Amino acid sequence: MLLTGCVSLPQSEALRAAPPQGVPPRVELTQVPFHLQDDFLCGPASLAMAFNAAGTQASVESLTPLVYLPGRKGSLQAEMLGATRRSGLVAYTLAPRLEDMLREVAAGTPVIVLLNLSVRLIPIWHYAVVIGYDLDKREVIVRSGKKERDEWSFGFLEFFWQDSGHWAMLALPAGRLPATASEGEFPAAVAALERAGRAPEARATYRALLERWPRNLTGLIGLGNTEYALKDLPAAEQAFRRAGEVHPRSAVALNNHAHVLAALGRLAEAEVAARAAVALEGPTLPEARKTLDEILARRRP
Amino acid sequence: MSTSLVRFVSRFLIVCMIGLPLQVQAGLIGTDEVVSATQAAAARGTVASVLNRADVAGQLQTLGLSPQAAKDRVAALTDTEVAKLAGQIDALPAGADGGGLLLLILIGVLIWWLVRK
Repeated sequence: MLLTGCVSLPQSEALRAAPPQGVPPRVELTQVPFHLQDDFLCGPASLAMAFNAAGTQASVESLTPLVYLPGRKGSLQAEMLGATRRSGLVAYTLAPRLEDMLREVAAGTPVIVLLNLSVRLIPIWHYAVVIGYDLDKREVIVRSGKKERDEWSFGFLEFFWQDSGHWAMLALPAGRLPATASEGEFPAAVAALERAGRAPEARATYRALLERWPRNLTGLIGLGNTEYALKDLPAAEQAFRRAGEVHPRSAVALNNHAHVLAALGRLAEAEVAARAAVALEGPTLPEARKTLDEILARRRP
Repeated sequence: MSTSLVRFVSRFLIVCMIGLPLQVQAGLIGTDEVVSATQAAAARGTVASVLNRADVAGQLQTLGLSPQAAKDRVAALTDTEVAKLAGQIDALPAGADGGGLLLLILIGVLIWWLVRK
C-alpha cells in the first residue's frame, strides 16, 4: 500500500510478524445494526450501533442530546464515555493496541475508534465502529460514515488512528467484562458507572469483576457501596467485612464496615471497626472520626 | 456590569447548582476514593473537583447546551475526565463526520505541499 512506504506502522507490522493467538482467523459481527453517520453526527451514530449491540435501545435522535456538542459540531471523547454510562452501560477505554481491538471483536463486542482523517495541523476527527476482521487479508471490517460495510487494511486503520493515541472504547452491558480487561483499569470504569448514578448496573458489574479478581479492593468497596445504595444492608455488611479481611490496612473498608454495622444496630462490632479505621489515619481520617463519634453517641446517649 | 463580575456570579451559581459531590449517606466513603488511591491519581481534592465541574459545565453552556443538559453531562464524567476537559474543550478532539470535507482538505494539503516543494 502507498502509505506503508513512507510511514512507520509498527502495530500492523507486529501483527504481520505474529498474528494474535487464540482468536478465530475471521470474525464479522453482522448483528450490529447500522446507523447512518449523517453530517457531524458520527458520535451519536457510533454509540447507537454499540448500544444496540449491547442490547440497549438507542438511536441517533435519542443520543444526540446526550453527546453532541453544537458549538464544536462534534462529540468529545469524555462525553462518549459519559453518555454510555448514562445509558446504563459500562464505558471502557481500551489499551491503545490493535491486537486488543481484535480480541474484543472476537469476543463479540464492536469497538468504537477515534480517527483523524486529515493531517495533525488541521485535524478532522471521526468516530467509526469496528465490527470485524480478517487475519489472512489483514483487514478490519467497519461501519463508518455513509457506508454500512467497509474493509480497511490494518495499515490504513493504524495510520488514521495514530493521532488520537489509538483511542478505542467499548459499551458493555452490566455484568460483562471486556476480553482485554485489566485489573488496573476496569474497576475504575465500574466506579465511574456507579458515580453516574447507575447503582444496579454497577452492582452487577462489581459482582462479575469480583469473580475474576476476588480480592480487588475497588470491587469490594464498590459492591458494598452499591448494595448499601440499593438498601441491601446485610449484603453491604458482607462485602465490607470481606474488604476489611482481605485489606486490613484499608481505612475505607473499615469505616464503611463500621457504618453499615451501626445501621444494622450491631453497635459493639461497629465501634471496634470504627476505632480500627481511625487508628489507620490517612486521608480519610476525618470521615472515620465522624463515624466513630456517631457510633459512640449512639452507644452512650 | 463588568465581565469579571458576571463570570464570578455565574461560576458561583454553577457551583451552587452542581452542589457538593453526592455523599449519599454521611459516614460511607465513596468508591471513587479507593479508585484514586489505587491509581495514584494526582491529589484532586473535593474543592478542585467542584471547581473543575463548574468550569466544564460553564464551557458546555457557551457551546450551546442548556444549563440542565450541561449539568447532567458533567455528572456522568469522572474527576479525571473533568480535569482533562477543564479549560481545554476547544482544543480536544470532537469527532464529527468528514467524508466530503476530508477529500477537499486532502487535496488542498496536497496542492499546498506540491507548491511548497
